[in-house]
Amino acid sequence: MRNGDYAPSRFQAQADAINLICGAKTQSNPENTVGVLTMAGNGVRVLVTPTSDLGKILSCIHGLVVGGEANLTAAIQVAQLALKHRQNKRQQQRIIVFAGSPIKYDNKTLEAIGRKLKKNSVALDVVNFGESDDGKPEKLEALITAVNNNDSSHIVHVPAGQNALSDVLISTPIVTGDGDEGSGFVVAAAVAAAGGGGLSGFDFGVDPNVDPELALALRISMEEERVRQEAAAKRAAEQAAEQEKVRELASGSHDDTMAEPVSNSTLMVDDKGHNLTSQDDEAALLEQALAMSMDVAKSGTAPVVDTDMSDATVDDQELAYALQMSVQDSARDMSSQSEMSKVLEDQSFVSSILNSLPGVDPNDPSLKDLLASLQGESEPQQKQKEDKPEEDHDD
Amino acid sequence: MTSTPSSSIPRGQVDLVEFVDWSGVECLNQTTSHPIVNALKQGSRDDDGLHLESDADEQLLIYVPFLQVIKLHSVVIVGPEEEGPKTVKLFANKEHMGFSNVNDYPPSDSIDLSLDNLKGMPVTVKYVKFQNIRSLTIFIEDNQGGSDVTKVQKIAFLGTTVDTTNMKDLKKIEEH
Repeated sequence: MRNGDYAPSRFQAQADAINLICGAKTQSNPENTVGVLTMAGNGVRVLVTPTSDLGKILSCIHGLVVGGEANLTAAIQVAQLALKHRQNKRQQQRIIVFAGSPIKYDNKTLEAIGRKLKKNSVALDVVNFGESDDGKPEKLEALITAVNNNDSSHIVHVPAGQNALSDVLISTPIVTGDGDEGSGFVVAAAVAAAGGGGLSGFDFGVDPNVDPELALALRISMEEERVRQEAAAKRAAEQAAEQEKVRELASGSHDDTMAEPVSNSTLMVDDKGHNLTSQDDEAALLEQALAMSMDVAKSGTAPVVDTDMSDATVDDQELAYALQMSVQDSARDMSSQSEMSKVLEDQSFVSSILNSLPGVDPNDPSLKDLLASLQGESEPQQKQKEDKPEEDHDD
Repeated sequence: MTSTPSSSIPRGQVDLVEFVDWSGVECLNQTTSHPIVNALKQGSRDDDGLHLESDADEQLLIYVPFLQVIKLHSVVIVGPEEEGPKTVKLFANKEHMGFSNVNDYPPSDSIDLSLDNLKGMPVTVKYVKFQNIRSLTIFIEDNQGGSDVTKVQKIAFLGTTVDTTNMKDLKKIEEH
């Protein structure tokens, strides 16, 4: 454990990782409790019984010395006992093992321990680091397989190298939990770790460690904004779908957008009122790009256009329709502006173009606003065009 | 009445399934695909396709709390001939037991299930020990065939309720 293969020393790297995990667990759910025990030294010793007090946990890790030999089976049994006597019996039981030393037990013993843990519904996470001799990874894998019930137990093998132990662990399910919890602290920790090289860029300009409530409020408002934008985009897509249907174009792909509840559309009426003054740059760029692509279509080589466009991941029928309309329009000698607006109204076609443009992030909220407003602009023009085709049919 | 022999409920007793507190029911060592609800819940327990199955070994530890205090008269445990339970220990009012401390306390009653019982015949328990039950812990120690997996089709409790205050019936006294 004094080895320098994990900077600064294995023991120190392990201590950092423990700090990270304890922080993540206590922050992800206020009812979580964490306890720590040591496996080597004079014998298995519980440093702190499960508590939600992070300070107490971190302070007891200070002043530990390296020595003795790690006893994995005894440690797991003591951990199981400590969990059994937890105060809140409704809590789920989990043991996280940092296995940096060689394991002297054989597969059978470990599997028996694993089965016992499974029987008592205790989940197990293993962080395998250090040397991989004596088949240590295989032994630990066998242990996890014996314990694992419904993927609640995990194992992570951390090879020696550049990355610190904690950095590698951040992205694993050991720290992030089984998907749902622990995200807030982890995101901040990840950013902090990335920013350690001198960038110091926190998620929202606020360090969650310094001011957790503010960070949380900012995060929630960002998510709300994102949901609102998505709903606005959905509404725009819905309208595109409705217009297509009015023209009696049978395309089954639109069924999903039509199936959305009507209440959706009533919600986001206000969003159309976004001011576009700040987005003139993007608007100019967008129009430029679309003008360029429209030049290709205008040249009249429709089959060539077809194959070009087929690279885009757009539903075929919508694409065919857009192309058809653009070809139709060029035959009628209409202005390029209306062509562009028709193409623009096909939401998915536009986003596919945007995707292929370098430096344009289609998820940018300002872009979405732009698209939505362009949607609004093209509506009155669409109504005009509806009349024209119908006139033709009458003839 | 069903066609299984002597499955009629003894006089005066009721099936206590409606008094089970489902939010607190726990079962240790069950497989996730065959959980305890298959054996306890009305409907699932009579479905032959659904049963409770043990996971790592043949033992099962089931904790059943009740919504009110009951007296337990008898227990019905239905299971297959080979993998059905054999030795069953009942613990009254002991919360949150684990496999490690089942042997620390003497059970309130210990039952050895016969094949008739496994077909649906109720087993009468020591009634005097089960007069005031808030929760029941059922420890299935082994099965008939000695296999590694125990399967239970149905678990039912027969008894009576003790008149306790039903908290839902409590009404606020009107101010005069």
